[in-house]
Amino acid sequence: MRRFLLLTLIPLATLALAQPADWPHPSELSFAPIDFSAPEPTRAELSNGVVVYLLENRSLPLISATAYVDAPAVFDPADMVGLASFTASQLREGGSGGRTPEEIDLRLEFLAASVEASANDAFSSVGFSALAENVDEVIAIWRDVLIAPDFDAERIEIERQRRIESIRRVVDDPVQIAVREFFFRLAEGHPSGFYSTEATVSAIGRNDLVDFHARYFQPGATIIAISGDFDGETMVAKLEAALGDWPAAEVERPQLPAFNPTPTPRVYYVEKDLQQSIVLVGHPSVFAYSDAYNDLSVANDILGAGGFSSRIFTEIRTRRGLAYSTGSALSQGFDYPGNFYAFSISRGEATGEVIALLIEEIRRLQDSGVSDAELERSRETIVNSAIFRDVSVAAIAARAARVELLGLPEGYYRRYLENVQGITRDEIQQVALQQLRPDELVIMVVGNAEIFDRPLSDFGEVISIELE
Amino acid sequence: MKVRYVVFVLLWLLAATAMAQDLADRVTEVTLDNGLRVLLVEQTSAPVIAFNLTFDVGAVDEPEGLGGIAHMVEHMAFKGTPSIGSLDPEAEAAALAKLEVATLALERVRSVGDADEIAAAEAAFAQALDEAQGLAQASPIDNLLATNGGVGLNASTGLDFTSYVVSLPANRLELYARIYADVLFDTTFRYFYPERDVVREERRQRNEDDPQGFLFEAFLGEAFERHPYRRPPVGSAEEIEGYTATEAEAFFDAFYHPNRAVLVLVGDVDPERDLAIIERYFGVLAAGPDFRPRPPSEPEQMAERRRTVNYDAEPQIVIGYHKPTYPDRDAFVLDLVDAILSSGRTSRLFQRMVIDDQSALDITTTSAFPGVRYDNLFLFYGLPRAPFVPEDLETAFYDEIERIKRAGVDAEELQKVKNQVRASVLRGLASGSGLASSLAFNELFGGGWENLVGDLEIYDSITRDEIQDVVRRVFTEENRTVSILVREEE
Repeated sequence: MRRFLLLTLIPLATLALAQPADWPHPSELSFAPIDFSAPEPTRAELSNGVVVYLLENRSLPLISATAYVDAPAVFDPADMVGLASFTASQLREGGSGGRTPEEIDLRLEFLAASVEASANDAFSSVGFSALAENVDEVIAIWRDVLIAPDFDAERIEIERQRRIESIRRVVDDPVQIAVREFFFRLAEGHPSGFYSTEATVSAIGRNDLVDFHARYFQPGATIIAISGDFDGETMVAKLEAALGDWPAAEVERPQLPAFNPTPTPRVYYVEKDLQQSIVLVGHPSVFAYSDAYNDLSVANDILGAGGFSSRIFTEIRTRRGLAYSTGSALSQGFDYPGNFYAFSISRGEATGEVIALLIEEIRRLQDSGVSDAELERSRETIVNSAIFRDVSVAAIAARAARVELLGLPEGYYRRYLENVQGITRDEIQQVALQQLRPDELVIMVVGNAEIFDRPLSDFGEVISIELE
Repeated sequence: MKVRYVVFVLLWLLAATAMAQDLADRVTEVTLDNGLRVLLVEQTSAPVIAFNLTFDVGAVDEPEGLGGIAHMVEHMAFKGTPSIGSLDPEAEAAALAKLEVATLALERVRSVGDADEIAAAEAAFAQALDEAQGLAQASPIDNLLATNGGVGLNASTGLDFTSYVVSLPANRLELYARIYADVLFDTTFRYFYPERDVVREERRQRNEDDPQGFLFEAFLGEAFERHPYRRPPVGSAEEIEGYTATEAEAFFDAFYHPNRAVLVLVGDVDPERDLAIIERYFGVLAAGPDFRPRPPSEPEQMAERRRTVNYDAEPQIVIGYHKPTYPDRDAFVLDLVDAILSSGRTSRLFQRMVIDDQSALDITTTSAFPGVRYDNLFLFYGLPRAPFVPEDLETAFYDEIERIKRAGVDAEELQKVKNQVRASVLRGLASGSGLASSLAFNELFGGGWENLVGDLEIYDSITRDEIQDVVRRVFTEENRTVSILVREEE
């Protein structure tokens, strides 16, 4: 009933109001140039080789720091996947420097400070955040967490059981399943695609944590970023006092297996009773900040990474209403290639349509390139938003530390921006032709094949994955 | 220890006063003639501005049968205006009107027509849709903001409020004002019907294929009998599938007025210059009526409610107790109870359930859910660690509640959470977008932006006796709703 009454309102909707006459069109607005040079962190070196980047910011009485350590999760042995992150968790939670886990927790929480540790595929890290008034006490705890962990046996068991429970629950989250299984297939035997299972977590003993820490957490493999309310020289002296007695030793990085850049193109299917399908298509790609990466990142921005205005988003979401989450991505690889992939989370009945659309958009980039307007949009987006890299002093200091740890060339980002400004339509199409491989995609689908609009075999050889 | 403790309390009070003064020195507060509240917060470390435009409009304001329309309108606020995104405003307006006629005709035929009539109406709808969409850009606002360096463009709709956020280089302030004043002045409801499908996908993703979303939707429906907090902000599947652009536009026209909004800018602002720009654009908008329909109030709960939800996933449990919202003092007391129970590794529930008896993978509590404009719930939520089951967590939750009822909390424990509250406010002052959203929230629902820091005095004055008293009154059997998600038994 309600709806038919509303018919009478329609004539009102046809009255298109223009904006007030004195408003300029947005394209006519001009903007004063921005004159800003970002604060630069200071680099210092402690007596044992630990590198420190410092950046003062006296606006609030807070100090935060992160120690980045060249102990990434890709160092995990195949039968102990999860070792790096398990180690990080126990640095923080297993007691250190003779303090029990409870003592550390109580003291930090009473001081409203935090010390946290984690590991990812690029590095391990141990950070703190403190009110300036009690930074000395927090640095002392953070120091012990970083270099003098006690690895309490009981805490290790608690963590192991929590990890097993989390693994059990991954199956409840279809996106997590899809992502996990997809990157495992893209990396085909390389540790960057490994994931923890109950078996790998159960295989990790206390001695493995002790060994991992002893082997990789070394002064020469550690770079610290610290920012906030301090005087630089005084802080370097504090850090020297805290960490200077950490003896330097040679670090031997493990030899990672070769990365296969061309995994077998296949369709992988995980059956799950869902309304939607999680679709991922992609393949390994280029190294971060190589020449090809610079061009490909712009191509990818236009294709699906550039938000609302990108092609995949416009076609699959805005025009067709087939997804809330869709787009593409180009991950950054440093020791091994990054991945290119496109994705959509769409109702099961449109699974085939969406896979075909994702592939079609990749092909269209190769066949017809991009328009001047698209290239201009992408260029302006990247260049004009670059200022946001320099808003937070903590982020500036952290980036300087990571750049040195990962071995990126100095000024890499400035050169990237210069490259983006000069990039041509032809270069975009060339990089798409050379680096995108729509005929060699690894395709992952999590969903319920009974409601799909097309058989997955339309897109290649189908392998069904049975979840444990 | 004793001496140290006294020193800490003194520092706490000094620091809170200094923080309040520091914030007040940086804020310029103006209300335009049309009622729009504007806060400019100087944070000049970098030439950028975080913008937050928040309306006290949310799902609680929706008429029956149009659940989720506030959220749908939020999506439409990205679609542009006649001068932003249209290729031919007059032709587009005519095409959109034609599309509405085709939509209503299709809906009618679907209920009364035969297959041929439905096919014809569908074809007419598709043609009208194509024609209208051919006259406009797909995402003109994103396009304008992104190419001007905008980052973090986003919006969210809750039960109480709707927020629009973006950060821009500081020299783009006029662009922001031009775009968002125009959005309020005359949003064009273009690309509406595909967007309705997008929202339907959003619901599938968050509330249907996600066990937690599924559990919480059922739980709120049980915990509230009459108040609209019982409804999911995204709406039901049937409601979403039935929206028309006309209905969404009517909701927009009824609620999106400058006098129901606060605009916060945090960053490299120059108050005098910037207010003139804001006034030039936003000042054009007309104030709306102050009228606000009051939702039905929730009757007092007289007995425990329990519900088991079957879903193919590992088990979860959620328990909620009705409680008053701010500025009732109980609401502040319960914020501290929340921190005592679950904030950090030394909190009572984490220590007991995750570390000591190891019955839980994780637990959390929340002191104000699902909104704050009206009286709400204190939540306990937990994921059992096999072989433990939700009922084991339930028992542990009640034990810990009884322990506070019986023995209260320690002085040091209370001081710990007070320190944490102060530090979290202080840390919040360091961010741009986070500070903007906290100030907007306090201005609309917390009695004024100053209370972001000013409330620290309330927290500081809370005593151990009060905590025990509130826990005794609120956490009672007849006042709770328990929902458990488990697999269906085979």
